Amino acid sequence: MTQLIQVVILGLLLGGVYALMASGLTLMFGVMRIVNLAHGVFIIAACYVAFYLFRGPGWDPFVSLAVSMPLFFLIGVGVYSLLFPRIEGTPRFTEMTVLLTFALALITEGLLAYFFTGTVRSTDPAYKTDAIRVGDFFIPTAQSLASITSLVLLIGLWAFLYFTRTGYAVRATMQNRTAAQIVGVNVRRVSTISFGIGMALAGASGSLISFLFPFFPARHWQWIAILLALIVLGGLGSLKGAVVGALLLAVMAGIVSHFFGSTWSPMTFFGALFLILLVRPQGLFGHQARVG
Amino acid sequence: MALLQLQDVNSGYGYGPDILNGVSLDVEAGKAYCIIGPNGAGKSTLLKTVAGLLKPRKGQVLFDDAAIGGRRPDLILAAGVCYVPQDRSLFPEMSVRENLVMGAFLETDKEVVKERMDRVFEMFPVLEDRLNQRAGTMSGGEQQMLALGRALMIEPRLLMIDEPSLGLAPQIAEQIFEIIRRLADLDMTLLLVEQNVLKGLDCTDWAFLLDLGELRIEAPSDQILDDPRIRELYLGRQREATRQPTPGGGEGS
Repeated sequence: MTQLIQVVILGLLLGGVYALMASGLTLMFGVMRIVNLAHGVFIIAACYVAFYLFRGPGWDPFVSLAVSMPLFFLIGVGVYSLLFPRIEGTPRFTEMTVLLTFALALITEGLLAYFFTGTVRSTDPAYKTDAIRVGDFFIPTAQSLASITSLVLLIGLWAFLYFTRTGYAVRATMQNRTAAQIVGVNVRRVSTISFGIGMALAGASGSLISFLFPFFPARHWQWIAILLALIVLGGLGSLKGAVVGALLLAVMAGIVSHFFGSTWSPMTFFGALFLILLVRPQGLFGHQARVG
Repeated sequence: MALLQLQDVNSGYGYGPDILNGVSLDVEAGKAYCIIGPNGAGKSTLLKTVAGLLKPRKGQVLFDDAAIGGRRPDLILAAGVCYVPQDRSLFPEMSVRENLVMGAFLETDKEVVKERMDRVFEMFPVLEDRLNQRAGTMSGGEQQMLALGRALMIEPRLLMIDEPSLGLAPQIAEQIFEIIRRLADLDMTLLLVEQNVLKGLDCTDWAFLLDLGELRIEAPSDQILDDPRIRELYLGRQREATRQPTPGGGEGS
């Protein structure tokens, strides 16, 4: 029992970081109907930013996060403005974004491998292997800090969406794009900002996982597969769904790996994906027939 | 001087064919207009093109003498043109209050927004009772009232309403027409597309008849049905059995 609770604690701590990664992805789908297969590769790119800022000037990943968030916001604004407006309004827009972002992922992966090689990297802050003992349980410091930071950022995102004028415009666009246009929301601007925010969250996630999981350029395929499973489980485009899906699956993966060995842990995500598509294709918090 | 002018406008969807074919018409300030015509005549396409949701492929749309054709929808709204689509396009997860606040998205003065909301409540008391209800859970008639209320939040100079009675029970539809009549009496410039031709004409001063994307007849609303060409357009075709028998029976495109 104690062991099981320990597994759940670790799962929840990881789930917080997963939630942060997934929220950016689901925001992009929710606002713009973009399935961003390049989300994982940008997280890996952010890992490299954290890695080199740690190795060079010696910045802690929690400090470099303050650099990579605005940096990736700007990259996001650039990428969106360059690639997406020209296919906007075309029939099968969402399918086209899958192809477009797949190409973007391949190109970015190639560039990362060219500049940073395929060597497995990881940032090594002093607290990386520390842990606190609370009663019978031990709580790893690095994962706790990462999870708390994710939580803070997600609360920030929520506050932005519910308490600012632009946030209202983003939510309005997510619920009904035409209606948002009708009430005077500049949906192009909202889309650009939302893509930037999604990328900023990818940037933050990169800093956080740079010391939690070793990385190399091609690692992003594994991440995007997991992230897509998470947001489909939660309901595409639902932020609440992304957070719940992330926590749920992280805990389940932990339990599976505890009982059956870590080889089986990735299967949890895809098993859950199959199951949800069979039973409730719109996801836990999704709406039926919202795509299109 | 016309408030809204369409000059030889062609418009359509995506890569599809032209739905509107060289439509020219004038809308004068303070009057109420009804657009009638059979299915697929281009009635909704016309409203969407004016609202900026579609770009005219040819011709020009002038509002207050400024060319607005093809401009961004939010800029056209800022100029004073507001569109209420036939699906009502509410924000289903937002409350009635939030929907109304979103209606005044371009208005940043909170006092003004509050005043306008009070005015909307005078016209639609039911909305005040349902202030915190989610829009997606309301009945069709209430949703239509919310859509109209939301449009009034911006105090448009031209209000375009697409099939307001669509899918509503007759007595609920009658309430909506009553409201449209009140708006017309307040000298609001209205452009109405309505499947219920008699009701639509009853609320308005002037009518346009569209057929196959072309403006065929325009006349005062209380006289247009006397035009002999109406019979030709509808009844003549009916005998050929190639079209819908009733004028504008159902949704437009």
